[in-house]
Amino acid sequence: MATSKLAGEIDRPLLIASILLALIGIVFVYSATASAIMEAKQGLYLKQLIWLGIALVGAGAVAAVPYRIYEGKSAYLLYGIGLAMLVLTIFIGHVGLGAQRWLGWGPVKFQPSELAKVATVLVLATVLADRKTDLSKVRSLVKPCLLAAIPFALVLKQPDLGTSVSFLVILITMLFWGGLPPLYLFLLLTPVINVVLSFFLPLWILFAAILAFVLYRSRLRLMPILLVVALNLVVGVVTPQVWNHLEPYQRQRVTTFLDPNGDPYGAGYQIIQSKIAIGSGQVWGKGLMHGTQKGLAFLPEQHTDFIFSVVGEEAGFLGAGLVTVLYLTLIGRGIKIAHHARNRFASLLAIGMTGIFLYHILVNLFMTLGLAPVTGLPLPLLSYGGTSLLTSFLQIGLIQNVAMRWREY
Amino acid sequence: MAPETGPLRGSLRRDRIFTWAVVAVFGLILLRLFTMQVLQGSRYRELSEENRIRVEVLTAPRGEIRDRKGRLLADSVPSFTVTLDPFDLAYQDAPAELDSTIVRLAEILGEDPGDLKEKVKRERRRSFTPIRLKRNVDLAAVAIVTEHSAWLPGVDVESEPLRRYPFGPMGSHLLGYVGEISDKELEDGDHDNYLRGDLIGRMGIERQYETWLRGVDGKRFVEVNALGRKAELLGDKRPILPKRGADLTLSIDLDLQRAAEDAFAPGQRGAVVAIDPRTGEVLAMASRPNYNPNEFSNGISQKRWDELSEGGNYPLFNRAVQATYPPGSTIKPLVALCGLASGVIAPSTTFREACDGAFQFGRRAFRCWNPNGHGVQAMRGAIAQSCDVYFYQLGIRLGLDRLAGFMKELGMSERSGIDVPQERRGLFPDAAWYDKRFGAGRWSRGLILNLSIGQGEMSVTPVKLAQVTAMLADGGTLRQPRVVQSIARDGVPVRFRAANADTISRHLPFAEAQLARVREAMEAVMYDPHGTGSLARIEGVRVAGKTGTAQNSQGEDHALFVCFAPAEAPEISIAVLVENAGHGGSEAAPVAQKVMQAYFHPAEAESARVAAEAAAALAPRSDATASGSGRG
Repeated sequence: MATSKLAGEIDRPLLIASILLALIGIVFVYSATASAIMEAKQGLYLKQLIWLGIALVGAGAVAAVPYRIYEGKSAYLLYGIGLAMLVLTIFIGHVGLGAQRWLGWGPVKFQPSELAKVATVLVLATVLADRKTDLSKVRSLVKPCLLAAIPFALVLKQPDLGTSVSFLVILITMLFWGGLPPLYLFLLLTPVINVVLSFFLPLWILFAAILAFVLYRSRLRLMPILLVVALNLVVGVVTPQVWNHLEPYQRQRVTTFLDPNGDPYGAGYQIIQSKIAIGSGQVWGKGLMHGTQKGLAFLPEQHTDFIFSVVGEEAGFLGAGLVTVLYLTLIGRGIKIAHHARNRFASLLAIGMTGIFLYHILVNLFMTLGLAPVTGLPLPLLSYGGTSLLTSFLQIGLIQNVAMRWREY
Repeated sequence: MAPETGPLRGSLRRDRIFTWAVVAVFGLILLRLFTMQVLQGSRYRELSEENRIRVEVLTAPRGEIRDRKGRLLADSVPSFTVTLDPFDLAYQDAPAELDSTIVRLAEILGEDPGDLKEKVKRERRRSFTPIRLKRNVDLAAVAIVTEHSAWLPGVDVESEPLRRYPFGPMGSHLLGYVGEISDKELEDGDHDNYLRGDLIGRMGIERQYETWLRGVDGKRFVEVNALGRKAELLGDKRPILPKRGADLTLSIDLDLQRAAEDAFAPGQRGAVVAIDPRTGEVLAMASRPNYNPNEFSNGISQKRWDELSEGGNYPLFNRAVQATYPPGSTIKPLVALCGLASGVIAPSTTFREACDGAFQFGRRAFRCWNPNGHGVQAMRGAIAQSCDVYFYQLGIRLGLDRLAGFMKELGMSERSGIDVPQERRGLFPDAAWYDKRFGAGRWSRGLILNLSIGQGEMSVTPVKLAQVTAMLADGGTLRQPRVVQSIARDGVPVRFRAANADTISRHLPFAEAQLARVREAMEAVMYDPHGTGSLARIEGVRVAGKTGTAQNSQGEDHALFVCFAPAEAPEISIAVLVENAGHGGSEAAPVAQKVMQAYFHPAEAESARVAAEAAAALAPRSDATASGSGRG
């Protein structure tokens, strides 16, 4: 197919939304770091601008080659490299906020988990696109679950709960999209629900009753049913036992782990400051560089994790609403592209990438709006961070790749 | 362009489900934005412009520490801390104002304005939280600060628990002290739940049991308006109340601890460790010179810190666990036990060379401590009179490998495993060690002679020495010394895994008869006419002991003494070390005697007098803090 014809198939709403978001991000990184208190960080917006250039070139490159080269062996190769780097991070990674998340060469630091996410989508798409995979058979679930569980466990070890959960989100999204019966999806999620509910006995009993009913009504064979029941029983009985036998300092570690910034000065305070910043922006905002919410200067991550608070304060409901709509556009186009693609691998690839975006966007927005605990995940495209921006655009490039070649089988 | 059938099987329109779910969630976000920015926007605008939301940390009091009889060794009392917020609105437009506030405040607090300015300058770069300028501020100063708050923008008085040690320097090394967490610790990733200015246990039990003693801080959100008045922030967050730390009960007996510390003359340096050999519980652990941990609770000045840490006597150094010394003759019962256990000697064995004050080995004469000599001695007499010549010959017959192997069984190159931090390892060298140190084969066989009398390259901490003495007393069981007896949270005992519990206590396979021979010899040290330990005798109780005088290249000999009592059924075993004091029999044995006296004949009147003294010394301070609840 001719290049010009391919280029004509580029999804314009997605292209415009992604570039607009990145530009808005740079403007607000500039604004967030302009105050005297952030002196050391005032040049960051320039760095981010350079990274945007690199990211656009990268996105073009991954979009230009036919997506088939990402399928199969190369997917596994990338996945292997990703896992190796995650293991490496555990041993020699840079410590940030009490967890080892970074690998670095000289001035460039990057999170191997970013690479691992993309690679996981590629291998899952390869496996789920395989004709031999029949999602109505329980046996077919083993491989995809393992492929997601390994990076999940490695990132959990860092420890970085927020990022590790993204692997589960990728798995669930792609299984759902790949045609997993909703019943299986529910059963797959039961151990997770179980862990959470095991601390509230009445709710747990209710949940167990529902599960029993669903299993009774399902036409599953005995083995899978027993497996689900056994798994749930073990998880449900063991979790509170283990918890009760932990030493206080060990419990403290678990709590800190679930809420990494949960120090007395941290989470609650940051969320209040973030809410005040956003709320005080009112309809029109206080104007760029005019964010007077002095408390915001008390947020060390305002140009990274809390960039949306700056948008809300300085650009008001109009600005924050626009950004929200742009993100919705991005996700919506991702789903549409995945739906239209005729090739199963391509479709799964697009939905997986969209799933990563969706998870990160929601976790960050919910956090800044005070609807979820502080997790320390940046807002894709908007937050400061060179390699994060690059990865986001590589993901966009892959989605565009699928968009351009939707006709191919 | 949409194909009717996508690549994905199944009858569900998964794209629609997905899309609508996403639209719904983003709709929720937009609704939230609308509520906050449009509906409640003016309220938030008000908060951001006129007011400051601040989080106030409610510091949790540390748990209490008590002795085995329930007597308080450390607690927390309310106190006032004066803080300054350099980011207060008042200083935004007039930074120079900050300096004049500090000058005014320095006068009220009786501090040097230069020091305070320096502190503010240093701290403001690191954090946005108010800076603690002075802890434990007296009530008069607090009253002045609160009355003049209009002239002192950003200055606040916070109530904070103050760590207090009612007996001052008593047991200071064992208890440790608390100090502000350092920048390095804050960044090392192991202290994520600490904030700048938080107190953390340093040394001793305070450090070892930090995670237990430290409570969980609470917090409350307050609104500070332009007039500097605080109001509880409504709606958003309720205060989270602090949780007090767990309380520890130590196996220490305050009376014994006091007897041990008072047994030292002023200016003397040394250590005492007393252990119950039946359990491994530590009854007393003293190190001299000591320091007053209360000084640290108030925030110690750099100058005072330098005095303590760099002065010639190193008062912060816990000699009971951090220092190693050659054990001198106190090693001899162990060397004799090695001889019996390996069958190299019988209790009646005598050696060819009688002691005439020296022993010729090759071209070198090894002297006995007594130039007049001890004549022909068997084991009992050799231990009672501490005859070096006997042990030179026993050492030669044992050989380095056998003796080193025996000492390894006792863990002489290991830590005792006591639950007090910073314990140092002792050393009993073996052939491999000498090969490494001097080169293979390039060391003299004569080294064994020195080792046999506890000199040369070997060294041991007082706590390790007390541990092996307790082993002799208790039929060959090497027990890990323990200081913390129990932990309770809100009065309810909790299970805990003792620190260092992986160091296993173990029973050593000595024949009871052989141990009995060694113990008898140690009794002879106390009661034979020529025995060296007579100064540690006490009324009505048989004592078994061994004196030691360790040569020391840096000065006067160290005096050592180990003992246990009652000899027939030991309840207490003690190791004493007095640095550069001279003979163990004359300088160290009396210290052990005083500790045993306190154990077997507790002179109630005496301890009551000392307690009254301590209480009187503390009285003025507790007045100031007790009436603190009435602040404005």
